[in-house]
Amino acid sequence: LKTPLLGKFEPANGSHRLGPIQRVKTPMRRFRDSDLVDYVIVGVGSAGGVLLQRLARAGFDVVGFEAGPFWDTERDWVSDEAGSHNLYWEDLRITGGADPLTFGANNSGRGVGGGSVHWAAFTPRFHPSDFRIYSEDGVGVDWPMTYDELKPYYELLELEMPVSGPAYFPWGDPHGYPYGPHPMGGVGDVLIRGCTKLGIRVSAGGPVAILAGSHGDRPHCIYRGFCIQGCKVGAKASTLVTHVPDAIANGAEIRDNSMVARVELGKDGRVSGVLYFDRNGQQRFQRAKAVIVSGYAIETPRLLLNSACPGFEKGLANSSDCVGRFLMAQAGNIVLGRFEELVRMYKAPPAHALTEEFYETDPKRGFARGFAIQTVGPLPIAFAKQMMVAKGAWGWGMRRVMMDYNHWAALGLLGEILPWADNRVTLAEEKDRFGLPVAKVSFSLHDNDKKLIDFGRKKVMEVMWAAGAQEVVQEARYAHLVGAARMGSDPGTSVVDKYGRTHDIPNLFICDGSILPTQGSANPGLTIQALAARTADYLISQGDTIFTSNKRDLERPPVRRNLAPPDNWGKGVPRFTTRNPKKNAVVVNR
Amino acid sequence: VKKPQFTPLPPDIDRPVDPRTGAPIVQRQPGYYPGYSTLSQQAFWDAKTRALVLDRVKHVPPIRFFSAAEALLMETVCEHIVPQSDRDSERRIPIINFIDQRLFENRQDGYRYENMPSDQEAHRLGLRAIDESARRLHGVGFTELKPLERDRLLKSLHDQEPVVDHEIWKRLPVHRYWMLLVRDCVDVYYAHPWAWDEIGYGGPAYPRAYMRLERGEAEPWEVDEHRYEWQAPPSSVSDEHGEAEEMVQHDATPGQGGTH
Repeated sequence: LKTPLLGKFEPANGSHRLGPIQRVKTPMRRFRDSDLVDYVIVGVGSAGGVLLQRLARAGFDVVGFEAGPFWDTERDWVSDEAGSHNLYWEDLRITGGADPLTFGANNSGRGVGGGSVHWAAFTPRFHPSDFRIYSEDGVGVDWPMTYDELKPYYELLELEMPVSGPAYFPWGDPHGYPYGPHPMGGVGDVLIRGCTKLGIRVSAGGPVAILAGSHGDRPHCIYRGFCIQGCKVGAKASTLVTHVPDAIANGAEIRDNSMVARVELGKDGRVSGVLYFDRNGQQRFQRAKAVIVSGYAIETPRLLLNSACPGFEKGLANSSDCVGRFLMAQAGNIVLGRFEELVRMYKAPPAHALTEEFYETDPKRGFARGFAIQTVGPLPIAFAKQMMVAKGAWGWGMRRVMMDYNHWAALGLLGEILPWADNRVTLAEEKDRFGLPVAKVSFSLHDNDKKLIDFGRKKVMEVMWAAGAQEVVQEARYAHLVGAARMGSDPGTSVVDKYGRTHDIPNLFICDGSILPTQGSANPGLTIQALAARTADYLISQGDTIFTSNKRDLERPPVRRNLAPPDNWGKGVPRFTTRNPKKNAVVVNR
Repeated sequence: VKKPQFTPLPPDIDRPVDPRTGAPIVQRQPGYYPGYSTLSQQAFWDAKTRALVLDRVKHVPPIRFFSAAEALLMETVCEHIVPQSDRDSERRIPIINFIDQRLFENRQDGYRYENMPSDQEAHRLGLRAIDESARRLHGVGFTELKPLERDRLLKSLHDQEPVVDHEIWKRLPVHRYWMLLVRDCVDVYYAHPWAWDEIGYGGPAYPRAYMRLERGEAEPWEVDEHRYEWQAPPSSVSDEHGEAEEMVQHDATPGQGGTH
């Protein structure tokens, strides 16, 4: 075999390749800075991608700003652990507090699709109890909305991604999934074995936003295990492949490699647009009737703090002093077990089985809220670093344990850490390459968090032993970032209302993980996208009122099911229809 | 294609030992997967990935960040963090060159601890502390120590109890420096296809799929495990570690769990 499968690498002409089949035609529509567009969205990630698609499909003029590139996945992505760092937000951030968080590859995306490009794609819903933990357990805060308000959007997004999983998922609000569960990898086997021995129910084969069958122009999973390095296959959902193509087809613009520096406030108390650095580093200004910040839990507060101006000296939309506060990460301890038999955990998606049996508060445990246990599948470099921490491995000890890589399985704790005012994002003295102050993050665990983590990691270790491991070790770690611009009914203790509109400025919205008041022990990606679809419905219902009036209306919008991307055609049949012999390139014929 | 340049092994370096014979083990390919070669499968990789991995093997970046003295010191330190004396000299993975490249290009992992200097400065300070500790303790530089003395000095950093209470450790928290050092070394070593062969990892897998997901079964192009016993060189203390429960857990982890 002299040439690679799928032919030689060819430059893309006038299109972006998303996986081996999907194409997005470029150039796309371009607005001028002088155009007064309807919406500017800052950050085209999980939330930004969905918002962009919905608003464009509803006919609004909308521009999505993205600090990173608009990927051509065939050209830009690799099937390689060390070579995938361009997917992560690796610009400087300062981290501190008693339990400092790490960023970059751990939890921060860059480029169109944002974090959904490198998530493992577990997509459990939040439980109904997550929306009222203050009422039920006296901790954290209640959401200004209920589970039932979000439920229709969970159902929509589970179809739009779509999600693979069991026909019956028993926890929270029980439900089933549109695509069938995935086959088990070695780590899923371990979780099922351990849980079954202990009488714990397990969900096998999902819920995960990875295709178990081909879907339109996206092929199904090939079980190569590189989810976190960006799915070159296009089987794993990211807004890059699920919503952005439809957004562009409907006239949205994505301005990539463009870093928004400030949101500008006009004399009338309304925002007038965004100041940004374009791909050439030139400072420019885009006018807009309304702005939605979707930069995730660190960059969103950073942008608002960097947009301080007369009237908002502590940061834009920060009259509550809550911008940057109540930042949350989930406990993500990794429990590693060595087995006599081979596991080869690099095969299959890292995310393919979980249990939520310990999700809800159990007063007998002595702490509020709970945790999930999920499969994870670290590739060699990540595993080596886990062994460095969990076993103190180095030198010949590192070489020895790495020679046993194929004997190890890894399970992840996913535990709820409560929102605390002192866990916060502020501005550091250091500046980035644009001269903008970088984020400084302070994070410390509190008593309930520590008790939960201690109980949770022991429970995961118990499952690992029960599965037959001969040696079990663990590494403390955190997963995901949410909060730092939370929603609430009280403008004195929250930044945005339940539709993401800032309490302070009528045409400034925030929509991303940062608006979550609490986080449950479910991976936040699905909830973030569901909230974005709901905010889009709200904005569409409000129409021009958003642009012309300061009136604040909290009426619930109708659920618009007809705004989903039109991806039902050819379901189950990938469309390799013609092959262009001259270019040896695959051409897709719709 | 420029031929990669490798620094020769220090003459006194010890090899791991076959416990049955007591003889040193040197192999073209260490590990339990004899004859396994990820590179032999490169026709099944996508073109972009293939170019990246081949470039990693063929083009070893020059030293541009470290001074000549620092480079010699760092090379010696790396040989203890991820020792390679069981590898044939043509198959040693050039760790320092890729660390140097990262530092020269000032590539970061997306964060810096508030009590840590930049990665560039941390590496320079750390090397200075190691070398000066060796001089205070033994009267000679780190590279001139015997292998066991070098290993013991480094182990004291691993244990967060430096044998020499150097003032640099007040500015550079020793456990964070240790994690930076080990992290940088494994980042390079386990990114290399020769290390994938050693540990039996599948390597790039697009567009070809895996078909055998369960029970640790090998794909047709993978190799079954053939274990053998080996002992770390007698002059090494890095193959010993305590029980996990007793260990001091560093208060934060290096980031990417490869996880959820």
